[in-house]
Order: sequence, then structure tokens, then C-alpha cells
Amino acid sequence: MIAPTLTFSKQRLSQWVLVSLGAILVGVLLLSLTKGAYPISLSQVIAALVEPLGYHLEAFEVMSANVLLQIRLPRILLAVLVGGGLGIAGAAMQGLFRNPLVEPGLIGVSSGSALFAVVFLVVFPGIASSFPILERVSLPLFSFLGGLISVFAVYHLGANKESENTATIILAGVAINALAGALIGLTLFYADDTALRSFTFWSLGDLSGASWNKLPIAAGLICIPSIVLLRGSKNLNALALGEKEAFYMGVNVNRTKVILLVSTALIVGVAVSLTGMIGFVGLIVPHLMRISFGADHRLVLPGSFLLGAILLNFSDLLARTIAIPAEMPIGVITSLLGAPFFMGLIYNLKK
Amino acid sequence: MLTASNIQFRTRNRTILDSTNLEVASGQIIAILGPNGAGKTTLFKLLSGESACSCGVVSYNGMNISKLKAKELAEVRAVMSQHSSVNFPFTVREVVELGLISIQPANSKKIIDEVMALAQIEHLQGQEYYQLSGGEKQRVQLSRVLAQVWERKPYSRYVLLDEPTSSLDIAQQHAVLEILLQLKSRNIGVLVILHDLNLAAQYADNILLLKSGKICYCGPMKGGMDECLLETVFDHPIRLIHCAITNQLIVHSSNKSKMYFSTRMMQ
Repeated sequence: MIAPTLTFSKQRLSQWVLVSLGAILVGVLLLSLTKGAYPISLSQVIAALVEPLGYHLEAFEVMSANVLLQIRLPRILLAVLVGGGLGIAGAAMQGLFRNPLVEPGLIGVSSGSALFAVVFLVVFPGIASSFPILERVSLPLFSFLGGLISVFAVYHLGANKESENTATIILAGVAINALAGALIGLTLFYADDTALRSFTFWSLGDLSGASWNKLPIAAGLICIPSIVLLRGSKNLNALALGEKEAFYMGVNVNRTKVILLVSTALIVGVAVSLTGMIGFVGLIVPHLMRISFGADHRLVLPGSFLLGAILLNFSDLLARTIAIPAEMPIGVITSLLGAPFFMGLIYNLKK
Repeated sequence: MLTASNIQFRTRNRTILDSTNLEVASGQIIAILGPNGAGKTTLFKLLSGESACSCGVVSYNGMNISKLKAKELAEVRAVMSQHSSVNFPFTVREVVELGLISIQPANSKKIIDEVMALAQIEHLQGQEYYQLSGGEKQRVQLSRVLAQVWERKPYSRYVLLDEPTSSLDIAQQHAVLEILLQLKSRNIGVLVILHDLNLAAQYADNILLLKSGKICYCGPMKGGMDECLLETVFDHPIRLIHCAITNQLIVHSSNKSKMYFSTRMMQ
């Protein structure tokens, strides 16, 4: 009789966890909307948000409404998409590579995406300036291509079917990161283009470029592969026993791998093309989920999306408010949180 | 019927498994025996569908294995390999539940409870897999494999096991083989690689003796349990004793050839 209650409570736990994470996310979003160089009170925020929907709650200043709706809200929504995307992509990659140290930034997928984005902006500057709509679609896709090449390169360099591959895959990532980083630097050095952003943008990330016209594409290109990943979470559970066992249990391993690799590369590529490389979100978030609620990917994946969104919004809140009116690159915050975490993981792995 | 007809496996310059014929009927236990490097695991991989044969055909219930999708194959056969590791903190119950991933039976809870009771791991179900001992892990893997074929089906199914008793104590070894005996009544054929000749002598219906990629014997257990035959296969003195109490064969092996010959003389 223990068993049915165990399964039952597990499902209940999952729902409860996801609902709570959702509630925390809403809380963090509201907090982020009020804070910043131009503080707005919570009641004003809510009034301004519901006004376009036809509810009139309270009088508010047009100025604060503009800051809120044109600057802060798109930025926060972008942070939700990018943070959530990086979280879920990190969780899926760790599951696929069966390696707890894998993260899009560490294994070079982010830098591959960034390299292709930079090259795109340099090679096709005309497109970027004269057809902004085309740029909005093709830049993420080009960046996705870079991510895809990196992820398959890492997979073939680092993943070894038979043995444990904890170290090799990280080394493959180091190599790709070094190469891509150098090429990004080189491209930026020779490109004298004002449209091109700084090296800091690509290496440490920046959410300030958010705008309403970028959001729909970002939403589509991050949410669709995220849903694909969620549907693959059952197969990821099987892969945790090894590719061979997953095949024995009836999983089409090659197809699953390709689908998962392409989806993660798409999420990361799009995220990087919009906000540059934001490190460690994809590492910390899935770990926190696993440590707290177990390894079942059916909970880890959606949970990582929500927790990633929370973490990135929180980091962005810090980045915006620590040194008002200046802004800190968001990668500084996430790396400050992530690097010690990574060291802890390596230390634990040794034991 | 699980049939292998004329299967071979060659790497670039070496024949690992020479043309082999094999039939596993449902309701039958066949044990594969042979020294290290005889090609047991290669044969196992070919039968399970993990590797493709260089030539020859493996078929399950008349269907060619190369035409079956992974999911279809999982419905007719379950495989327990020698080593399985889980890198994430999955609980024991979650690991066992993975066995049902492409079966999706109506009464999954009942199946999981039954197979966990059978492998005596109910008390572990909330624990994390990677904290278990080697023997416990093996029993968890066994019950995952059992879950895959536990639901009764109108067609024959097969369970392939690669040394399922390697980390188990004597009592557990027999417990595992007793479970395999139970599978016979469920219209399931069992193929198992064993190292322990005594276990094979007690539980197998048929045995297959493999040496250097060639079959030395394939047939009923009684016929294969022959001192000369076993000695040539294993390159080691082996003696069979008939136990009057249990009416079973006891396999005795010792390197002390003198003692061995003297006992043989005594008989």
C-alpha cells in the first residue's frame, strides 16, 4: 500500500513544485517591474499593466507607464524567455550527455552561436541595417546554426558511448570555447561597424537590447523547442541508464539524440543572438532542481524553465540596481553565482 | 521463437563469432557458457539487436530484427546487460518504472509492485539508485527488465540476461534463477549468460557451449554436461558428481590435477 501513495504523492509534489515556482516567478517579475533607476510603486505598476486591458484602477503618470511598458516589461519578458530557455536547455543537455557538468556555455555551444551571430553582422551588414525584419529572423537562425555545429562537434569529440565521459566533454568544450572566442575577437577587431556590439556584450551578456519587436520571434523560437524538449523528457529518463539500455527499453536513441541536440542548439542560439552569452544559468538551475526534487526529467525540465526565468530576472534586477544609473553586465552576476557552484560540483565529483 | 540462423560477426581482420545457429523457444531457459573471450557477449549483442550481424539473420517470432523498430523490439524482448550506471539521483522505484516506458500497461502500479516484490527490493524503493550496493543494483535492474515483460501477452516474448548473478550471494543467485523459472509459465523464453556451471546444471533446459567464436555444443543440458566436453571448452579439469540427495549434477573444478586424477580413479 505504500507504493500507490508514493506515486500519487510524487505527482502531487510535481504539481505543487511547478505551481510554487510559477508563483515565485510572478513575485520576482513584479518586484523587477518596480525597481530600477526610476522606481515605480507596485500599485502604479499594476494599474499601468491592467490599463491597456480596459481596467482603470488608479491614476498613474504617463512617464512611469512609458518606462514600464516600453523599457522594463519587454526586458523582463526577454529575461523570462532567455533564462527559462537556458535553464531547460542546460537540463536537457546534462541528461543527454549523462554528465552533470555540461552547460551550453561550458561546452562551447554559446560561443559557437555568438561567433556565427558576429560573423553574420559583419558579413551582411547591409541586411542588418536595411531590412530590420529580416535581421530579426535570420540573425537568430544563423546563430542557431553556429550552436548546432558546436553541439555536434562536442558530441563527436567528447561523448564516448562506452565509458564515462565527464572530463573529455568538458575538454572538448574548452577547445571550442577557445577557438570561437578567438574568432569572435578577431572578427570584432577587423569589423569597424557601429551596428556591431562590443565584445563585452557577446561575452558577458546584456538584456538592455530588449524591445517589443524582438519578443515575438524570441518567444516562438524559444518556446517551440522548449515544448519539444518537454515532450522528450520521458526519453531523457531512459537515456539516464545509458544509450544501450534506452534502446533495449524501446527508445529510438539516434532520433531522440538528434531532436534534443537540435532543440537545445536552437534555444541557445536564439538566446545568444538576443542577449549575448550569459553563463552558468544552464548549470546551476537543473542542479538545484535535482538536488531539491529528484532526477525525474518530467519535473526537472519544466522546473528548470521556471527556475531559470526566476534566476535570470533576479540577476538582472541586481545588475540594474547595484550601480544605478550604470548597469552591470548580467554575465558578471550569473558567473559570480555560477563559478563557485561549479567548483563545488567538481569538488563533490572528486569524492 | 527467437531464431538466429547462420549469424556471423567479423571485425576488420578477425572473426569474433563464426556462423552460429540458435533457437530459443518460449517457456525455455537456455544458458550460454564458455570461457572469457569466447564471443558470448558478441552473440548476446547480436541477439538483442544492439549490433547488426555481418551476415545471417536474427528473428523474433518470425520477424527479422533489422525490420523491427526499437519500440516494437522492446515489446517482444527485454535485456539485462552486465553493467548499468545511472548518473543522476533517480530513486529505485523510478528506475524500475523506466522498464514500462514503451509498454504503457493499464495497471502499471501493480506490475511495479509485483516485480519489486519478486526481486526483494521493495524496502529500497525510495532510496537513490547510485547509493545501493552492487548486488542491490543488480536486483533493481532485474526488476526493471521483468517489468518490461510482466504484463501477460498472447504472443511469445524473450528475456536476455548477461551474467545477472555476478554480484549476488548464493541465496540471491538462486532467487534470481527461480524468478527466471517463473517466467517460463508466462510464455517467455529466457537466454542467460552464466559463469557458474552449477547454476546452469540446475536451472537450464538447454545449454550452448561457446569457445573461440564457435559453438561446441547446443542442446539439452544433460547432453552438454559431459566432463570431456567441458574440459575442452574451458581448458580446465572439470569433474561432474551426481548428487544422490537432490538428483542433480554438481560440477567440480580444481587445478590440482593429481587430486583430480586420483578422484577419477576412485570412481
